[in-house]
Amino acid sequence: MSKFGVDLEVHIASLRRYARALMRNSADAEDLVQEALTRAVARADSFQAGTNLRAWLFTILHNVHVNQVRSKAARPQEVDVDDVESKLVTPARQEERVELREMMRAVDELPEEQRKVLLLVALEGLKYDEVADMLGVPIGTVMSRLSRAREAVRAKLANEGGVTLRRVK
Amino acid sequence: MNAHQGIGRVTEDELHAYVDGQLDGSRRLAVERWLAEDPDAARRADDYRAQAMLLHEMFDTVLREPPSDTVQELSDKLKGRIAFNDNRPAWHARPLVRFAAAVMLVVAGAAGGWMGRGAEQQAVAPVAQQRQTLATFAQEATQAHRFYTSDERFQVELGADNQDELNGWLSKRVGRDVFGPDLGRVGYRLIGGRSLPTDMGAGAQYMYANDANKRITLFVGAPQSGNQSSFSFTQNGDVATFYWVEGQLAYALAGRLSKEELLEIAKAVYQDVKAGPPRREPPPDQQQQQQQPQPQQQEQPAGVQPISDTHKPKES
Repeated sequence: MSKFGVDLEVHIASLRRYARALMRNSADAEDLVQEALTRAVARADSFQAGTNLRAWLFTILHNVHVNQVRSKAARPQEVDVDDVESKLVTPARQEERVELREMMRAVDELPEEQRKVLLLVALEGLKYDEVADMLGVPIGTVMSRLSRAREAVRAKLANEGGVTLRRVK
Repeated sequence: MNAHQGIGRVTEDELHAYVDGQLDGSRRLAVERWLAEDPDAARRADDYRAQAMLLHEMFDTVLREPPSDTVQELSDKLKGRIAFNDNRPAWHARPLVRFAAAVMLVVAGAAGGWMGRGAEQQAVAPVAQQRQTLATFAQEATQAHRFYTSDERFQVELGADNQDELNGWLSKRVGRDVFGPDLGRVGYRLIGGRSLPTDMGAGAQYMYANDANKRITLFVGAPQSGNQSSFSFTQNGDVATFYWVEGQLAYALAGRLSKEELLEIAKAVYQDVKAGPPRREPPPDQQQQQQQPQPQQQEQPAGVQPISDTHKPKES
């Protein structure tokens, strides 16, 4: 099987996961990926063989997202929290679900620029310089957003004393 | 924050790079020393890892959902459009490939890859490097365990009805002689296995179940450098994992069990692996080589986890 074929399949799965984490709604996420892939197909000629396919795809997705946000700026976005939470992985135990819910909330409360960096690095495993290129910011900015995001999430999870107490039972 | 002075100042950025597997070998050692001396920093590293694990738990479900028809169509079109595309058109339609790819993604996202590490990193700090790659290997095994025990439909690629066939097939995939040990005396029977693709094409997962239908998985891989190592333990959420290197292979045993229960099974795996494959013409000399004394595992059964990638509920 061609390595390229596997790579592409994996990168698209990765795009879909990132889009879901970003949009928090499966229809919006799939739309975003669809739009990004449409552009990727249209611009396939501009992709240089041997360069970073994943970074190329994520950059396209990012640009599409920025444009979408811009054009939707006037309209408020609706996110059905119950709908999203019902789609969580099926954890075996109640306490895990509470932990996940708190994590979800903490991530949601991050400023979008921090949330993106955290998701790209911690969930998708992108390299710092890939994230910097993709977002068009210096690598130092990536690092400080990452650091602030992680500490903010950490503080929120630590403050949820109720969560940990419930978890222990 | 001055606990790490004198061993080369460790920066905030380096702590993140350490957690994200983006730090080179020599600095990794400096960070590890710092973490050993500074419990606050070690706790931060643990918490950051826990955050990543939670993110995966929240969103890896997407990997199991088929893409919309439009997205699938576009993916196919993109494959065709990009110049050096050389894949056969129909492979992506095979569900096993799809799920194998998804797992590859899960583990790559979790830890930055185990087998495809740069050669120069190994030259810099082989011991630390092996420790790290093993820890990553264990993390991959844990992820694969979660993934393939989460949905009964995708548990095994090939059943254990014919163990010779299963072992032969997985040995071919891994490129080394592997087999699913007999765990009957600890109450588990082999139900089958699957191969997990990586950059090096290596990795076999054997799945076992007991009478209560409790599942454990044994992940076997071929590391680039295989120094013997004692049992190490890591706990991620409710999944416990023991891992070690024996001969040319790395093993990681994962299950939703207590550390003590899992250790008993890990010992059984270890002994059966040393005893050699079942019902196959044993290659005696090869086994003799691996019979050299391995004093480590009995003395420190729980293994000191050198890299602090353990995260438990804080109160427990």
